[in-house]
Amino acid sequence: MKTAKSLAGVLILVLILSVSWSGQVGAAPARGGNLTIGVDQEAVGLDPNLVTAFSSVARVGLMYNRLVRYDNDLDIIPDLAESWEIPDNLTYTFHLRKGVKFHDGAELTSEDVKFTLDRILDPKTGSPALSYLAPVKKVEAPSRYEVTIRLKEPMASLLSVLASDNLSVVPKHAVEKQGNLQRVVVGTGPFKLADYVPDNYMKLVRNPNYFKPGEPYLDSVTFKVIPEQMSLLAAVRSRNLDMAAISEGGIIVQARRDSGLSVEQVPSLNARTFGFNVTRAPFNDERVRQAVALALDREQIIAAAEFGFGQPTGPVPASAKKWALPVSAFPSYERNIARAKQLLAEAGLPNGFAFSILCAASYEGGLPVAQVIQSQLKQIGVTANLEVVEWGAYIDRWVKRDYQGIVELRGGGADPDRFLYRMLHSTGSVNNFLFKNAQVDELLEKGRSAVDYKTRKNVYDAAQKLIVEKAPVIFLYVGNENAAMQKYVKGFNVMPNGALYYLEETWLDK
Amino acid sequence: MRQYILKRLLQLIPVLLGVSIVVFLLIRLVPGDVVQMYVGTQVSPTAEQMEELKRLFGIDKPLYVQYLDWIWRVMHGDFGVSLRTARPVLNDILARLPVSAELAFLSLTFALLLGVPAGILSALRRNSVTDAISRIIGIIGLSIPDFWLATLIILFASRYLTVLRLASFVSITASLSENLKAMVLPTIAFGLGLAAVLMRYVRSSVLEVLGQDYIRTARAKGLAGRTVIFKHALRNALTPVITVVGIYAGYLLGGTVVIEEVFALPGMGRLALYAIYQRDYPLVQGIVLLVTLAFVLINLLVDILYVLVDPRIRYD
Repeated sequence: MKTAKSLAGVLILVLILSVSWSGQVGAAPARGGNLTIGVDQEAVGLDPNLVTAFSSVARVGLMYNRLVRYDNDLDIIPDLAESWEIPDNLTYTFHLRKGVKFHDGAELTSEDVKFTLDRILDPKTGSPALSYLAPVKKVEAPSRYEVTIRLKEPMASLLSVLASDNLSVVPKHAVEKQGNLQRVVVGTGPFKLADYVPDNYMKLVRNPNYFKPGEPYLDSVTFKVIPEQMSLLAAVRSRNLDMAAISEGGIIVQARRDSGLSVEQVPSLNARTFGFNVTRAPFNDERVRQAVALALDREQIIAAAEFGFGQPTGPVPASAKKWALPVSAFPSYERNIARAKQLLAEAGLPNGFAFSILCAASYEGGLPVAQVIQSQLKQIGVTANLEVVEWGAYIDRWVKRDYQGIVELRGGGADPDRFLYRMLHSTGSVNNFLFKNAQVDELLEKGRSAVDYKTRKNVYDAAQKLIVEKAPVIFLYVGNENAAMQKYVKGFNVMPNGALYYLEETWLDK
Repeated sequence: MRQYILKRLLQLIPVLLGVSIVVFLLIRLVPGDVVQMYVGTQVSPTAEQMEELKRLFGIDKPLYVQYLDWIWRVMHGDFGVSLRTARPVLNDILARLPVSAELAFLSLTFALLLGVPAGILSALRRNSVTDAISRIIGIIGLSIPDFWLATLIILFASRYLTVLRLASFVSITASLSENLKAMVLPTIAFGLGLAAVLMRYVRSSVLEVLGQDYIRTARAKGLAGRTVIFKHALRNALTPVITVVGIYAGYLLGGTVVIEEVFALPGMGRLALYAIYQRDYPLVQGIVLLVTLAFVLINLLVDILYVLVDPRIRYD
């Protein structure tokens, strides 16, 4: 009797569980509705090939498509290209989806893809993506749905480059008519531009001819620009917003305490770094750089500057899991004051030294990070003076390489070639540490020309260890990308690069 | 009077020319130029590309050529286009001006309705409990920074005042009631400080007048207390208050930046802020010129108001 009763109890439990389970997963996405999303920055221009502001890039990504794109695991997946072949490391052939329509009804063909890439490659266009495409020799459109890219020299990260929103495909006919697409949107993406009042709102509506059948689920997406993080959260709480992208750790802490909201966080691709101008004393001595590296405690920095939301990273952002090494692979990540002092003594600085750190009060400028570094370096007798400057002045000094130490937020790429070559090869376009090392150069060149994952992985493992050892720049941590949303918002995934692609799969359960 | 106004309007020309030169040079003196801000720190273009970008942004010519070119076109009503968004500067400014003007107008009205009666009451009941309370509130209103007050108000409203619109502005032409729902909190946050200032000015000004001989004479004549205060005291006490309001009205128009940021209002303050961040030269220049114009005109209006309030003042 007793067993029968408990058996019945178990059965009922199973029944309840299965019902609630099916309610969770089996529910088909509902169509319709408007989603209002709050962001902290207004878009600056809308031409995908021209914009540089991240806020513009994120929105352009909803209205245009690229040849390929990233999913939220940072794997390359098809977008406008259905498939591709890489017969040798200098040739890439893409087969386009058929029947893809621009918002004005014209069909997308290989001519548009060729036009887009040629447009970016033309210096007169002034596209920020030009430097990404430096190794491209020629773009061909052999047939209506086929595009071939030929390279002067191998570049293993070409697919990663093509996944950039700056390489979104634009319609030839519209650009030729309009000059540029900064104010009009003629894309192929899931949403079309309906109404735009700068600094107030931007309304996007569903593209009924979107090439993914059934998507997007939402009728419209409305962007609201709310510069203050506190106000962003308040607007979600009061249901003026359905969701908001939030960057400040303190605000995330508050959002997580609110049981009425759901908060999604993923490790970001952006890496926080502390770099040196290695041509200036005392950081022209690698022992001094190593000593500084040994004196830093990354967990403390994350706790103080990011409210604990982040994880220590090596040269490849920890969020790019396919390539990143665990930090245990880097001996200098274990704080060691005695060894640091010894290195300083060997470098002829037994009593420490004073230098200055360039930083800015914006999130990118990393003032709180610089403050923690300042206090940590005191323990090895090094005095760091903080030079806190306005963002424009910061960029000016960055361009002129005019600093001893600098705190930066480096926009990471999911492919190590794209991220590390530009930053640490002696000819790299954003190697503003002025770092030159023949061994590092050789490894980065090898990683760039090989196509096979295993070979490349070995090369980049070695490169990462060597870079950490030479320490032209100290890789500190990756923060989080966060979204706070109402519980009825379903199907949205926060991406490590902050892209909003998953809005095409988002639906409202209310 | 007419001649006076004409003279003042003529004085506007050198003022605006002077301001245009100063702002033109100042924004270019700030470290970091528009091309660098555009490119940011993620890309390092070649020298050729930088030249090309400079040409695109129209900053490749000598400074004086750029200035003359710009000022010539401004005189013809063409303020140029924003370097970052390619939208016409004048359209952008005129689209934002009403929001800032509305906020300034509502805050000023709020401050007048609150500050003037409180100041009068305080002065009439000098050293009473009412006086003490309104003075304490006045000091608090003066000392609290508006960004902090605004944040507190938002925190409170996100819990208890969800009928209001938080950080989601609706323009006055779209819906008056929705617009007011969005403007209530910013008006309070912005107007409270000004109300405190006004209250203190009105109080001391009324107290001063109440000590004058002609008030004693009026009372001695046997005039009713009400007549003495409204006809004799207040009218005389108002002149310095108008000066303060005039100065603040100009300030209100330019000082909305913080409130616009916190409450996400699409006003001119924010437009100016981002234009400066991004070194969007034509936009910064256009905004400064127009705000200068507004400031000078408001001052002129105040000077004319003096005459209406105080017949002893004449501009002949």
